[in-house]
Amino acid sequence: MANDANSFTITIRKRPWWFWVVVGFWTLLEVLFLQTALASARESEYRAAAISWTVVGVLAAGGVLIWFLQGRSRTRAD
Amino acid sequence: MESEGKQTGRRALLTAAGLIAAGGVPAAVALLEGTSTGSGRKRARWVKSVDHPTLGDKTAEFRRFSGDNIFEIYKQLITAREGEGSFEAEQAAKAKRLAGWMRDRKPGFRLPDHQLSEGAWTLMKSIKPGEGLLSWTRVAVNTPAELGVARHTASQEEMAETVKAAARLYGAGLVGIAPMNESYVNLRQAKKDIVFESVEVPAVTETKFVIPRTMKWVVAIAIPMDLDLLSRAPTSLGDAATGLGYSHSAFTVASLAEFIRGLGYQAIPSVNDTALSVPFAVESGIGELSRLNKLVTPEFGPAVRLCKVFTDLPMACDKPVDFGLVEFCKKCKKCAESCPSGALSFDDEPSFKTRGPWSNPGHKAWFEDSYLCFQHWQQVDNGCGICLASCPYTKAAQAWVHDVVKATASVAPAADGLIRIMDNAFGYGRQHDPEQWWAKDAPTRVRG
Repeated sequence: MANDANSFTITIRKRPWWFWVVVGFWTLLEVLFLQTALASARESEYRAAAISWTVVGVLAAGGVLIWFLQGRSRTRAD
Repeated sequence: MESEGKQTGRRALLTAAGLIAAGGVPAAVALLEGTSTGSGRKRARWVKSVDHPTLGDKTAEFRRFSGDNIFEIYKQLITAREGEGSFEAEQAAKAKRLAGWMRDRKPGFRLPDHQLSEGAWTLMKSIKPGEGLLSWTRVAVNTPAELGVARHTASQEEMAETVKAAARLYGAGLVGIAPMNESYVNLRQAKKDIVFESVEVPAVTETKFVIPRTMKWVVAIAIPMDLDLLSRAPTSLGDAATGLGYSHSAFTVASLAEFIRGLGYQAIPSVNDTALSVPFAVESGIGELSRLNKLVTPEFGPAVRLCKVFTDLPMACDKPVDFGLVEFCKKCKKCAESCPSGALSFDDEPSFKTRGPWSNPGHKAWFEDSYLCFQHWQQVDNGCGICLASCPYTKAAQAWVHDVVKATASVAPAADGLIRIMDNAFGYGRQHDPEQWWAKDAPTRVRG
């Protein structure tokens, strides 16, 4: 990335199409299980709620981890 | 600059994720919800209309059911099997056991639990076919002639929609229109024959119940049971869900019959009396016949009480539905495994083999052993309901995932086994703590 006192350049790297498919699927799963977790508590299905919260947590942690690792590998490539 | 580049990328990602969440999920939900069908409510696309019911093939052996009270059949059977006085002895032991549970404040069987159930049954226990609320002629409504107008006329499609709207208002969760089938009508009730005659108005005489042959339509109705109570089965609280469903049924059919009479037509309201409810409900597309040998609906599972209104008001009839239930039942068997009395069939395939005098022969089904079922009822308060609560289709319609699962079962039967495993893993169908029902700030009806 070029940079000097008066200007900077933003490099926008095109991501492969499947990346967005994965992100969309991940988001759908997160929303689905988050809604299930909240709704299961209203249904008095506490075991289902606990499992759904676990899935939400694992998916979120996995997403953050992959995002972090991808950022690191990209930085090294730069 | 590197960090700003990363931030831009993250912002794009978050924006994309937000758009997908905002647009994709509602789109998926809309796809699952689908459009209006004959059930009188918006139905999911995976509930398909078909020309013939998925289960219930009939042979020449099929005939009108006697209409004998199932408790009377049980009484005769237990007397035959265990000797004279065994029924009375069992009832006395039951009463003594219940009194002990009440004194010991056994959760789900305390006095308030029992009386909650009794209160819920009030309306159902106060009705008789052909009398009062279930009168076969008008109760109080003014006829169009008395109001100085002609009777209501419209196309059969419009009439069906009008009647369904009224039924929903009076309490129907699902409503469909089926053609009258005389073979589904009982032979007798209240020690009188039920006959079809070429008359204009239904009548109840000293010797018979008369249904006019002009009554060619049946409004089949499913009343959702309270899942919050049913999940406490088998206790008095679970039984309250049954009583409440029946009492609401009585109110719904009585009100709808008066509405139809008010439009200028004849109507006969019926709960468990007069005719079988399940075949009319199957043929009107409310649900499919299941391993329980009861109706299972896509929306409420088997947690419904059925009732119907016979009428001469011409309406467009609905078609049966297929949402993959029969294939699912073949693999699931959760109800049969949950049944404490072993009354439900474990057979892989439905058959014509009946299991006792309570079964109507000549149709294909998973027949149950009602003797074992009723025997278990005598061990609890009034009823059981475990099979209804354990069915994977019995779900409160709060979580979207239930629709996703049901849609998957409908379009991909290969996933049925996995769905059954996940249903258990998520803890569905387990008995909820009876005491928690009272501990709630405001017990509310949880309906699908």
